[in-house]
Parts: sequence; C-alpha cells; structure tokens
Amino acid sequence: MNGIRQIFCKEMARIFRDKKMVFSVFLLPVIVMVAILTIINNLAGQMQSDIESHRSIVWVQNEPESFRAFLEAAGLDCDMETVSSPEDNEKARAQILEGDADLLIEFPEDFDQEIAAFREGDKVPQVKTYYNPSEEYSSQAYQTISTGALEAYRQTLLAGRVGNADAVTVFTVNSDNDEMVIQDDEKASGQALGMMLPYFITILLFAGAMGIGTDMIAGEKERGTMASLLVAPVKRSSIVLGKVFALMTVSGISSIIYVGGMVACTPFMMDSMAGMEEALNLRLDPSQIVMLGLLLIALAFLYSAVVALVSVFARTTKEAGTYIMPAYMLVLVVGLLTMFRMGDGRAADYYIPFYNSAVALQTILSHEITLAQYAVTLGETLLLGGVLTVIIARAFNNEKIMAL
Amino acid sequence: MIEIRDLTKVYRLNRKQMAESHTKNPNKTAVDHLSLTAKKGEIYGLLGPNGAGKTTTLRCISTIIKPTSGEIWVEGCEVGKEPEAVRNRIGFLTSDIKLDDQFDPDYMFRFFGRLHRVPEDVIARRREELFDYFGIREFAHKKIRELSTGMKQKAAIAVSLVHDPDVVIFDEPTNGLDIITARSVTDYLRKLRDEGKLVIISTHIMSEAQKLCDRIGVIIDGRKEAEGTLDEILARTGADDLEDAFFQIYAGRKEER
Repeated sequence: MNGIRQIFCKEMARIFRDKKMVFSVFLLPVIVMVAILTIINNLAGQMQSDIESHRSIVWVQNEPESFRAFLEAAGLDCDMETVSSPEDNEKARAQILEGDADLLIEFPEDFDQEIAAFREGDKVPQVKTYYNPSEEYSSQAYQTISTGALEAYRQTLLAGRVGNADAVTVFTVNSDNDEMVIQDDEKASGQALGMMLPYFITILLFAGAMGIGTDMIAGEKERGTMASLLVAPVKRSSIVLGKVFALMTVSGISSIIYVGGMVACTPFMMDSMAGMEEALNLRLDPSQIVMLGLLLIALAFLYSAVVALVSVFARTTKEAGTYIMPAYMLVLVVGLLTMFRMGDGRAADYYIPFYNSAVALQTILSHEITLAQYAVTLGETLLLGGVLTVIIARAFNNEKIMAL
Repeated sequence: MIEIRDLTKVYRLNRKQMAESHTKNPNKTAVDHLSLTAKKGEIYGLLGPNGAGKTTTLRCISTIIKPTSGEIWVEGCEVGKEPEAVRNRIGFLTSDIKLDDQFDPDYMFRFFGRLHRVPEDVIARRREELFDYFGIREFAHKKIRELSTGMKQKAAIAVSLVHDPDVVIFDEPTNGLDIITARSVTDYLRKLRDEGKLVIISTHIMSEAQKLCDRIGVIIDGRKEAEGTLDEILARTGADDLEDAFFQIYAGRKEER
C-alpha cells in the first residue's frame, strides 16, 4: 500500500504543483468549450433575430385587392412588388435565385371574380408560390406567407363564401385541450440531461485521463524516469495502481469541473433554451446518487486502465497519442449510441463492455435499470479494469515493453 | 556480498536492430556465462570497452532486466525470486535512469526515501548529510530541468543513496562530470567502502579503475577475461599499468576469436 500511496501522491504533486498544467488540464478545456458554445449561441441568435427582423420582399402577380387588404389586416409587414409583365416574372425569379427577393406569388387573373363567381364543379383556382430554400430569408418568407398567411387568407375567403367556416370544419385538433400532456414528472425531469449526460460523462472521463495518462506512463518511459521507479523496492503492480488511481482522480476531477462549468455557464451559453427548464432540471434521489457515484468510479478506473494500457505499449507520448485515438473514437461512438437509444433496451446491453456503463448511466437517471442489471454493469466494469491492470503490471515486468 | 553464477543475457533483436548490427542472427549475447563475487568493504570495478556487457550485468543485478540464465545473489537474496528485497538493499545509478525533471532534488529525495520506507527523521538526517557533502543544498529547490549535468548527477547520486544501502552499484558514475565533481563522487565511494559497504562500478576509464577499485573484473564481449587486484592483473600480464594490461587482455581475446 505504501508504494501505491507514494506513487499516487507523486503523480498528484506533478499535476497540482504545476500551475500551467492545472490550467491546461482542468480550466482551459472548460473555458474553450464555454467560449465556443457561447459564440455559436450568439451567432445563431443573431442570425435568427436578423431573419425575424428582415422585411420580406415579395413579388405578386395578379394581386387581388382582398389579399393586400388581408395582409394589412393581419399585420404582415413586407415589401410588395407587382409583377405586371412576363419580364417582371422572370426578373422576380432571378432575384429569388440570387437572394435579392424572397417570394413570388402567382394568383390567377381575376382571382377575386373567380372566387366570387365560383360554383360547384368549377375548376378550383390555384395560387402558385416560388421560393429559394437555400436562402434563409426566402425560407422564412415561405413559412410566414405561403404556408401561414395564404392558409389564413383561404380560411377568410371560405368563411365569406359559406357564411360560417365551422360548417365546413370536420374536426379540430387540441383547440381547447390543455391537458394533452400525460407524463411521469420524475421521468421527465432531466430528460435532456439524461440523454446528454452519459455521452458527456463517458467522453470527459476518457478525455480527462487521456492527456495526462500518456505523459504519466509513455512520457516517463521517454524521459528515462520510469526506470528510477523500477529500481525502487515496490511491486510493479503498486506502481501501476498508483498511476491508475492518480489518473482516475484526475479524470474524475476534470469531469466534475467540465460538467459543473458547463452547467454553471448554461444560461450564458444557451439563452435559446428558454422553456426547457424541466428537461434540464435533474432531480436525483439518494439511491440514484449512490448508483451513479459507484458506477462513475468504476468507469474512471476502467478508462484510466485503458489509457495506461495503451501508454505502456508506446515508446513516446506522441506514439501513445496515436495509439489512443481508436480507443477515444470507440468511446465517442458508444456515447453517441446511447444518445439515440430508445426504450428500456435489451438485457444483453448490460453485458457489452463500455456500452453497458453508458446505458446504465442513462437508465439510472430514468429509473429504468434493475438492481441485477446495475450489478452486472458495475461488476463487469470493475473486473475489466482489474484485468487490464494485471496486464499492465505484467507489461511493466517486460523489459522490452518498458524499453529498458 | 554479490555473487554472480554463470550469468548469461541474450537480447532478441528486431529486424531493424539486425540490419543496424549487420547480422542475420536475431540473438545477441550481451553477457556470456559470467561469474564473479564482490564482497563487502571493497570497490569492485567492471572494466571493459563500450558494448562489453558491463551495464547489462549491472542492470541484471539491479533487477531492471532478467537474466536469460544463471543466478545473481545480493546479500543472500536471489534477484529473480526476491526482486523487491534486492532493490531495497542496493543503491543503483546509471545515466539511463533519470530523475523526474518537473520536481526539485529535495522532493525527489523525500519521495524515494518514502518509497524505501525510510522514516521521516532518517530521511531528514540523510538529506542533511548527502546534500551537504555534494553541495546540493543551494539548488535543492530548483527544478531538475533547470540544473546542469553535474548538478543532476549529484542529485541522482544523493537520491540513490537515500536509504543508506549496503550495496552501491554505479554505472560509469563520473561520466560527463567535471574533474572536481568527479573527484567528490570517487571520494564518496571510497568513504562508503571504508564504512564497510560493497561498491560496484563500471567504467571504461583506466585511470579511474586503477586509482579507485580494489578489485577489477575485465569484461570483453560479455565474458570475464581477467579478475583480481591491480597488482594481480599487472603481474599476470607483465604490463606497467592497467591500460597496457587491458590491451594485452583485449588482444588475447581477439586472437582467440
């Protein structure tokens, strides 16, 4: 135990005595992530408000008097251009293509008269609209005017024709149903976090161990400092465990800082998330906290062992960085899979290494995991971490692997 | 005491190493059936050219690498069976083993003292003694990466001796040191010898071996070609000094091959 403790303390001191390392390992990633998300959110918000404040340029052919009056009554503010010749029509289409105009509406000639004189069996007049889905302004104009205002205009004309629009309404959907949402509040709370947390936690735990872990083992080999530990009277397994536990601690602390930092900065980063408070508000009961805590410790142990295993076979930190990328990609994919996972899942999911822990994190949050499934996941994760630690300790005894 | 019985160490070469060595034989014998005994209260020198197998022998004694065959006993402990016990009894220093340059000599000294389970008060006492002797005090709190080669070597020597080992194994201890630092190191090795400890060094510097070592083992191509006190080796070869004696032994070995 003395060897494990001394190696652990030395590794901790190596990190926490170095202010630059503390900053680069624990703070810089959070600052960068928060800055990037804030910038993205601001840019997206600016783009959205720009689109919303944009005054649509709409070309109208054969504009009926009732339509202009309807638009004014509906309060739709847009620049109307009149198409009075085929050349104007071509011009309007060219402007839409170039993004200089947003929408072209073609009414049939004498639209108002056709509507007024309509008899059953007559051909139904058709209004054609043209827009450019590649242009944000044009798409917005299409949404607002073509699918929104024209539909309302149609309902207005219909009401004028039949006297009472309700007479031709077959049914409405949820027009006065305030109780349409039926859900378990406990399950719904933190739904968004429940989906995202396993993804972030698995990635952050691994990423936290990755940078330091490669330096802790491959770096020591490269610098020739590992040999000084190997001539000390401690078991190889003690050196390995000391380093793996140190890695666990670093990855755990960095994950807590990352998650905490992101949660604290969420209001600045995502002002567009208004209305999602319930989905972001995670409520955990004591049993969930215990289950999550134990599983996260086991997961940090496994990931640290993976990073250490990869590092021990590398001769340099650069080589270790290359070797570790496939493992990191695997963790990313596992995290993504759980994000799009539906329902309780199969029992077999809890037997698949790495994937099971991400699934378990998710189902702990949604109260769907059984005690047996949790035990299998926790046991397997610890067992796998233990097996990897034994392999690393064996590798430490191999003079070729240790480049002695 | 150290007793080496019929030690052989064979390295397996990879293709690149075979190409670099211009050989098709994947096995390289670094140490070939070497036997020797070094006793307490003496400085035993392994003398030989580069690549003779001196460092490999010392690394086998220190349990860093495993012998292919043969036995090595250190103070009654066999290196393969009780590696931790062996490591606790020796102080080992080689240029390949470096101190973590993110720390200062003071931290490294305390760290290795604790790894050797040396009580804190003893660590403090040893620190006073060794830091004073090697003049480390003035740079004890400077990061090792900021130290000169000589300072690093002094710090490494002090750290390797923190637990006051009975057996001191130094691989080319004065390599790269200025003459003053080198002298302080050799003087300290004599002091350790006088205290009754066993000191084994490897060197290819004849004058160092001649002045420092009580007994010398000449190793060429992994085999011990001669062993004895300086006078015994000179008498055997009829040479006037160790350098001439070494070249006679070396020439004899090459003729045999």
